[in-house]
Amino acid sequence: MSGLQSLRLVRVSAVSGRRILAARVISFIAALAVGAVVLAACGFDPLHLGTQILKKSLGSRFGLEDLGLLLTPLILTGLAVTVMMKIGLWNIGADGQFYIGAFAATAIGLFVKGPEPAMLVLCFIAGAAGGALWILVPTLARAYGKVDEIITTLLLNFVALLLVYYVATGPWRDRTTGTVASTGRVPYEMPDFFGSLHWGFVIALIAPVLFGLLLRYTKWGYEIRLTGANPEAAHYAGIPVRRRMIAIMLLSGAIAGLAGMLEVTGTVHRLQGGISNNYGYLGVMVAVLARGSPVGVIAGAALMAIILNAGIILQTQGLTTAAVLALTGLIMMFTAVADQFAHYRLVRALPQAAAATATG
Amino acid sequence: MTDIPALAPFEQPVIALERIGKVFPGVIANADVDFDLRAGEIHALLGENGAGKSTLMNILTGIYRPDSGRILLDGVAQTFNSPVEAIAAGIGMVHQHFKLVRAFTVAENVHLGWKETPRLASAQVLEARTRELSERYGLAVRAEARIDELSAGEQQRVEILRVLARQARVLILDEPTAVLTPSEARTLFKALRAFKAAGNSVIFISHKLDEVLEISDRVTVLRGGRKVVTEATANCTTTKLAQLMVGREMVLGGLREAMKPRDEPGRVVISLEDVSAADDRGRAGLIEASLPVRAGEILGIAGVAGNGQRELSEILTGVRKPTSGRVLIEGVAMEDPSPALFLDIGVGHIPEDRLRSGVAPSLSVSDNAVLRAYTEPPIAQGILFKPGAADTLAREIAADAEVTLPSLRTPIRNLSGGNQQRLVARREMRIARLAIVAAYPSRGLDVGAISTLLRYLIDLRNAGVAVVLISEELSELFDVTDRIAVMFKGRVMGLFETKDADLETVGLLMGGQTKQATAPTVEAA
Repeated sequence: MSGLQSLRLVRVSAVSGRRILAARVISFIAALAVGAVVLAACGFDPLHLGTQILKKSLGSRFGLEDLGLLLTPLILTGLAVTVMMKIGLWNIGADGQFYIGAFAATAIGLFVKGPEPAMLVLCFIAGAAGGALWILVPTLARAYGKVDEIITTLLLNFVALLLVYYVATGPWRDRTTGTVASTGRVPYEMPDFFGSLHWGFVIALIAPVLFGLLLRYTKWGYEIRLTGANPEAAHYAGIPVRRRMIAIMLLSGAIAGLAGMLEVTGTVHRLQGGISNNYGYLGVMVAVLARGSPVGVIAGAALMAIILNAGIILQTQGLTTAAVLALTGLIMMFTAVADQFAHYRLVRALPQAAAATATG
Repeated sequence: MTDIPALAPFEQPVIALERIGKVFPGVIANADVDFDLRAGEIHALLGENGAGKSTLMNILTGIYRPDSGRILLDGVAQTFNSPVEAIAAGIGMVHQHFKLVRAFTVAENVHLGWKETPRLASAQVLEARTRELSERYGLAVRAEARIDELSAGEQQRVEILRVLARQARVLILDEPTAVLTPSEARTLFKALRAFKAAGNSVIFISHKLDEVLEISDRVTVLRGGRKVVTEATANCTTTKLAQLMVGREMVLGGLREAMKPRDEPGRVVISLEDVSAADDRGRAGLIEASLPVRAGEILGIAGVAGNGQRELSEILTGVRKPTSGRVLIEGVAMEDPSPALFLDIGVGHIPEDRLRSGVAPSLSVSDNAVLRAYTEPPIAQGILFKPGAADTLAREIAADAEVTLPSLRTPIRNLSGGNQQRLVARREMRIARLAIVAAYPSRGLDVGAISTLLRYLIDLRNAGVAVVLISEELSELFDVTDRIAVMFKGRVMGLFETKDADLETVGLLMGGQTKQATAPTVEAA
């Protein structure tokens, strides 16, 4: 009998957050190691690339600004997905809601004149309302027709994308500078507080904390948690399950829409076709990384932002986009594997089996 | 057949568990448990909820790994990594919740995952093989029927046949009679005795003391994860076993005496008039039921589970909407009965399937404890929810329910089924000002807890609360109810004053048969 036979993997159902974290740190390092080997084999110097990334992202003021600008939409879309996960549903349409939020804010910016602070508030409301409106049909279909929200929210992304492309290259096209792919500049801007980093970042940081507090310290939050954990028990407790579901879905859409609004008024200042930068889809990944924890969304988004930022830096060092995407995918895959592995524990087989190994 | 098998003391046990230990986070499930099973015996495993019976058997069959101790099979140390390995070694377990494929036929289920199943066999061949097995082991099953169509008793026979077909010589049954009618239980016992007579062994897990005394040769009692004693059944009495199980003197009986005599029927607080309701699949679950629920009375609902009791209890608490008929509260017909309405007027509800509808398994004990109280102070303050106040109430409920908790933050699914049941029961009793509907409240509880629970229901009754007690235990119903209604296939078959009812009439009605002689029926409402 070999020693290996006396060891066995056992699956445990409940895993502590600390275990998950440890597994992820290990997997992250492992992914970097694999990436480094491949890069070295292709003739790059992984160590040099690594130091470049650190220097240019975390080690410089501009790098930190960029990180903050990436973080803002990622936190909000990640939160949008997490909010819906809390009631047991998936919002795959954060991208579309982001577009419509940006679209609505741009509409206010281009066509309504007024003092900037008031207009920003109006943009804020329009962005959130736009996002909520964009998820309204999937919400009603889900609440009254039990139509799978994953499909409906996803499909509306393409509608939103095409709508924005149409207005950005057509009716709202910038005719003064002659660009063909974007609208004119939105005159109202979120004020900056750290280089190019605007107050939207602070809003993004506060939102998950606020939502976490709502869940924990309000009756409404309790009802959401109960409904998400067991809708039948919620019905039994007298909670209007359908109404809560509708509220949460609209909130989720509003948060994604807000992300779009902040992107227009804080970062890009114009509406253009690629403005979502896939933030909506990345938000799904952020939410999965956060494992349903609203505050965890900030950490998940931070990891995602660092990876994306590193990708941009790597491109300046001569790597192709495809290679960068492959590296990103590698890290994500390792993380997913780590989450699964954290559920397993290596245990020694029965004592007498071990004893038999020792004596025999 | 009642004598203890004559066994030489040196004869080797079929199975010996030595100093088995198993710890789950925060709970010691088993500690230093010794257990042995002889050839040709029925060995009962008795214990309160959370005493570690199921854990011990799950270790034996390879579902769990013990943290310490060893398993000897015919004197040789053995570890099973899965139930498949256990059954290959001749040890098969029939779980409380059947593990059959509902859309498959009996024959298909028997042959599923069995190495002796012929490849490329037609349905006819499988059915013929099943019929032959059914005859050989004396277990009547309909080989061609789909599991969906079978009663719980028939499903259990399929499970047992599955195990026996694989040449099991040790059969483990977890609470086998919980889902059976009395006559089905008798059939089961007959089959077990025949199995034993062929030199095989049975481990029989049960809460029901009289059954243990009837069927077993030896009894092992577990308490708090440890073995208390192994004793020949012939030396045991109900009182002695109950005492060993709970570790203190049990006061059984005396329940009837605790019921305050009533001079006249209580006022009708909830009343159903020709109420019909659909079940979860949209079929007729409850059919034209008329039933008055009276204050200060315990109304028993007798019947084999699945004959409309679930629908009835949900109608009585607003969880399910009637498709026709009227629900009256204090004589007033309700336009749109809802759970919130019944909660407002003080109707508690211990649902039959607590994991499905009574609790949110992934939420903490504290969150689950306040499910009925979160809208009112001190837990709610305006729109706020106060976790601290929730913890306080949770601690109170746990103390009342005599449940010791590892932590209030533990998800409630980590508690044993019995402890969940106790917490839910206490939670619901707290709010039952007008009425309480208790569906199988004693299911999964041990004698001690059942007696405590029934006593609380009697206290509520004496205080003027209307109590509806849905149960399969006729003895329990005859012990504590004022009236008994019998349900069969969604219909209320009859309503009796308990003191005028006789066991035979009720038993026949449970099976859908009415006695030729007219039973003393009390007119509804």
